[in-house]
Amino acid sequence: MQNLIAFFQRFRIFIFFVLLQVISLGFYFSYIAYPKGQFLTSSWAVSGALLGWQNDFSKFFHLEENNSLLQNENVRLRKNQMSNFVKVSAELIKINDTLYKQKYEYIPGVVINSTTTRRNNYFTLNIGSEQGVQSGMGVFSDKGVVGVVYMTSKYFSLVKTILTENSNVDVVIEPSGLTGYLKWQGNDSKRGSVIGISSDIKLAKNSMVYTRGGSGVFPKGIPVGKVEKLIPIEGKPIWNVVIKFTENYQALQNVYVVKNLMQQEQKKLEQGIPIEENK
Amino acid sequence: MEIILIPLIRFFGLLLLQVFILNAIEPGLGIYLMAYPLFIAIMPFNYNIFTCLSLSFLLGFSVDLFSNTFGLHASAATVTAMLRPMIYKYFGPRDGYDVIKNPNVLDMGFRWHLLTFGSLLVIHNFWFFLLESFRLDEILIVLKKSVLSSVCSFIICWALQYVFFKKEKTICNNCIYHYCWFVV
Repeated sequence: MQNLIAFFQRFRIFIFFVLLQVISLGFYFSYIAYPKGQFLTSSWAVSGALLGWQNDFSKFFHLEENNSLLQNENVRLRKNQMSNFVKVSAELIKINDTLYKQKYEYIPGVVINSTTTRRNNYFTLNIGSEQGVQSGMGVFSDKGVVGVVYMTSKYFSLVKTILTENSNVDVVIEPSGLTGYLKWQGNDSKRGSVIGISSDIKLAKNSMVYTRGGSGVFPKGIPVGKVEKLIPIEGKPIWNVVIKFTENYQALQNVYVVKNLMQQEQKKLEQGIPIEENK
Repeated sequence: MEIILIPLIRFFGLLLLQVFILNAIEPGLGIYLMAYPLFIAIMPFNYNIFTCLSLSFLLGFSVDLFSNTFGLHASAATVTAMLRPMIYKYFGPRDGYDVIKNPNVLDMGFRWHLLTFGSLLVIHNFWFFLLESFRLDEILIVLKKSVLSSVCSFIICWALQYVFFKKEKTICNNCIYHYCWFVV
């Protein structure tokens, strides 16, 4: 017993140090693996509110740029409105408004805290569960895909962006229609890569990459990037397709959160897929 | 009163600077500007190691609350505080430090500050980026990031000390008299 007490007295500094390390690293690795609560993140109410104030001040730096972006988007949407079109032929036109049912809803939000140079980058949005945001929803801007909501608090939410290690958004390369997964290599916030495209297919430079919309997180056809070059992966018959993102994540402010109204239905249906046995 | 107030001001000043200004600046090349390790370095020589560790942990934890790193800053800060006495002992004078002096660049000179605070910053950044990537095949990127970030952060901290600190008076007879009078 005396030996034990002597041991603790001798190594008390080191034991205290190890204790602090276990606390902090325990938090780190459990959060990386699975989000548990809002504490220790910027979606925590106090830090969220403070970061919101900071954004109230710093948003003026990009005000002009963001205004013109929103204006351009408005023009583009206005062009598609029914009242803009003139009937060319004199025949009757039947509008089947019961044929269509709304699948996606969008919640507008503002990025109040962001990083782009870390290994895993998270954005904080100023909207939370009170506005209808839930974890697992997709987030995009008018120029490109942003990420997936990782966790939410009452008035803030944390987005795991595509600038993280395991983002895995399913994308399609147009016009060839090949599908793959989006990855990020960790050092350049302007470039990502698409994995999963067979190396016996040639791809044209500057072909556009869009979201595929297969998992129901993102709607189909949100731009992601442009193909820049093809790099062969050693030992595998697939390309590492380097793409240049269409969105500049360093100056991103206005985003939309996707709410898929049919997500439950799709999930329920896909649960019925039998799991293949490992042979 | 001063003994409590001055560390408190430094703590919150560096926290706010780190969280609201330096976290928002991203110069590229993976550089991450960190000013808060300065707090760990400039704690007085006669602080207990437990106080050092606890204060560093608290500061790192507070930075974590604002920057979506979930505990990485707290971990790196405690490592820095743990290694601080060893590094100060290694680079220190043979007969120990003067208790009236403070471990900042104005009191101790640029060479000493570069050696001690520079190595603390490199260790801090290396630990931070290593745990952040947590892959051995990215070790070169980690090294590049930690060296570049350390250089940039060192320049910022050096400038901060020149702006906000004033030099401790040199010890003449008169001053010793004043000092003793104050203590008694």
